[in-house]
Amino acid sequence: MNITNEQVKNMYQTMLKIRKFETRAKDLFAEGKIPGFVHLYIGEEATATGACANLRDEDYITSTHRGHGHIIAKGGDLKNMMAELFGKETGYCKGKGGSMHIADATKGILGANGIVGAGHNIAAGAGLAIQYKKTDQVCVCFFGDASTNQSTFHESMNLASVWKLPVIFVCENNGYGISVSQARHQAITDVSVRASAYNMPGVTIDGNDIFAVYEAVGEAVSRARKGQGPTLVECKTYRWRGHFEGDMTVYRPNGELDAWLKKDPIPRIEKYMLENNIMSEAEIANENAAVDNMIKDAEKFAEESNVASLESALVDIYSDMVEEGRVR
Amino acid sequence: MISIGIIANPASGKDIRRLVSHATVIDNNEKINIVERIVLGAQALGVERVYMMPDSYNIGYRVEDKLNTCDELKCEINVINMFRFDGIEDTLKAAEFMENLNVGCIVVLGGDGTNRAVAKVTKNTPLISISTGTNNAYPVMMEGTIAGMAAAAVASNRFNNRLFVEKDKRIEIYKENELKDIALIDAVVSKDLFVGAKAIWDMNNIEKIFVSRSHPASIGFSSVVGCKKIINPNDDYGAYLDLNSNDTKIMAAVAAGIVIPISVSEPVILNFDDEYEYITKSRGTIALDGEREIQFSENQKYIFKISRNGPNHVNVKKILETAQINGFFTV
Repeated sequence: MNITNEQVKNMYQTMLKIRKFETRAKDLFAEGKIPGFVHLYIGEEATATGACANLRDEDYITSTHRGHGHIIAKGGDLKNMMAELFGKETGYCKGKGGSMHIADATKGILGANGIVGAGHNIAAGAGLAIQYKKTDQVCVCFFGDASTNQSTFHESMNLASVWKLPVIFVCENNGYGISVSQARHQAITDVSVRASAYNMPGVTIDGNDIFAVYEAVGEAVSRARKGQGPTLVECKTYRWRGHFEGDMTVYRPNGELDAWLKKDPIPRIEKYMLENNIMSEAEIANENAAVDNMIKDAEKFAEESNVASLESALVDIYSDMVEEGRVR
Repeated sequence: MISIGIIANPASGKDIRRLVSHATVIDNNEKINIVERIVLGAQALGVERVYMMPDSYNIGYRVEDKLNTCDELKCEINVINMFRFDGIEDTLKAAEFMENLNVGCIVVLGGDGTNRAVAKVTKNTPLISISTGTNNAYPVMMEGTIAGMAAAAVASNRFNNRLFVEKDKRIEIYKENELKDIALIDAVVSKDLFVGAKAIWDMNNIEKIFVSRSHPASIGFSSVVGCKKIINPNDDYGAYLDLNSNDTKIMAAVAAGIVIPISVSEPVILNFDDEYEYITKSRGTIALDGEREIQFSENQKYIFKISRNGPNHVNVKKILETAQINGFFTV
C-alpha cells in the first residue's frame, strides 16, 4: 500500500490539529472555561489519523470518552467542537453534550460516548445497517484496551464475525483502564489475540507509527468493503496526560512517560517528510502556524457564542420517532 | 554450571500477516507452554540454569511460577535484570548478555526478524531457532521438549561442536562502505514508500530479491528463488533475481496460504567475493527477512554481499544422534 505526498501532508495537518486542539483544551479547562470533564488524546494522534485516512465521508466511526482525536480525524469542525466543549449553543450538540458526546451525522461520526464499551454495539449496528443497505461503506469502532473486558466487546465481535459485518475494531491500547495498568486488568498483553476467539484476523501494530496504522487499517477497510468481514487492529500507544484532566497519574511508574515521549508520532512523520522532500522546515513551520490560527479561530468562535438558553433545556432531548413510526 | 539462554519474543506471531495472508496467531500463552517444555527438556538432561530475556508478558516469571506450582522446576530460571524497551532492543541486549555469560546454547522463539536480531550480536553461541509463526524461513517448527533436550546436549560441552553446529550465511547490505544491516535468508528491494507495518506482501512492488538460500519447500522470498533454483545452506554462494521482468512465470508460496504466479528472471549466482551494486531509481524500502527495515531515496548506492558470517545454528537431529551414539541418554 503506497501513499501520495499530498496524503502525507494531510495526515500531518490532521495530527497537528488534534495535538494543538487538545493542548489548548487542556489550558482552557485549567482556566475554568470548559465545564465538565475532558479526556485528552495527546500522544495518540497517529492512531485516529492513520485509521480515518482510509475512510470516506459516508463511512462511520464510533468513538469513546477520549473522542476529540477521532472526531477531528474524521473531519469534524473545530469551531463546533470547541463550542460544544464550552457548552455553547453553536456546539455540535447545542452545548448540551459537552466533550464526551460530540457527534456529526453528516460526517458519519456516530458519537463520542461517556460509557466505556458502549461504542462496540453501535458499530456492529452500523455495520448491520450497511450490510442491509448493500453499500460498500464501513464502520471503524475505536475503543480502549480495558473496554475489551466488557461484554459489549465480545458480543459485538461475535455478531460482527458471524454476520461478516463491515466493521474495523481499532483498539487503542494505551496501557491503562483509567488508573489500572493493563497487566492488572487483563491476562493478556496483546488485545489482538482476542480476535482468534471470534474467527477474525487480529493484528498488533505500533499505534504511534502513522504509516503502520494507515496500512493495517487500510487492509482491514479494503477487506470489509469487499464483504469479507470484520478485523481487529490493536494499536499500541500511550496517552501523555492522565485519564482526565486533573488526574495526577500517580499510578505510572517512573520513566514510563519519558519513554513514550521519545515515540511521539509527530516528529516521526516530520522526519519522514524532511527525508523524502515532502515538506521543508519552512513549510512545516508554516503549517504549524496555520493550524495555530485554526485553533485560535475555534476558540474565538466558542467564546463569542451564546450559552445554551434555559428554555432550550428540553429541546432535542426526546424523540418522537416511535410516534412517527405508528402513524406510518 | 550448565546454562542455556531462552529468548522468547512476545511480539511475534501477531503482525499484519494475519490480515494480508493466512498466517497463524501464536499468542503469548502458547509461547509460555513452549518455554515450559524447553525448560523441562533441558533440566531433565542436566541444565542447571536458564537465562531468560525479560518481556512485557513476563514469560520467564510465568514459566517459573507454573513449574513451581506443579513442583516440576528443578533448575534455576534467571530472568535477566535489564531495562526493558519492549522492542527489538531487548532481543539484542539479552542475546549479547547471554553470549557474554557463555551460555551453552540460546533457544530463540520468534520469527525471522527475531533470529536476525540475535544473529547481529552473537558470534559464538550456538542457536536453536523455533518458529512461532507460519511465515518463517530461518527458524523451524519444533517441539519445545526436543529443543530443550538438544540445548542440554550442546550445553553439556561433551561433544565436538563441529559435528552438529553449522555456520550460516548472511546477506550484508552496505551503504557508503559501511555495513548498514544484515539479513539471514532474503533481502528485497521494494517500491513501498515507508516501513509502516513492516511485512511485505505485494509482489507488484518488488523489484529484486537476494537470497542466501532458496528452496521451494520454504516460504516467502526464498521460495520465489527456490522455485527456479535450489541453494542449500552449505553452498558457498547465494543468488539474486529480478521480479516483474516478464521473463518466465513461476508459482511460489510467497506467504502462508498464498501461492501465486510471479514473473521472474533467471537467478544469478552471487559468490562470497561478489559485490552487487544497486543504485536506487526512486524512493523505496529494503526488506530484510520479510520486514521492511531500510528506507531509501533516489540515487543512493547500496552493496549486497553474501558471506558465511551468519549465526551458528544447531542441527537438532545431528546433536541428538551424537548424544545417542555417545550414551548421553543412558541413565
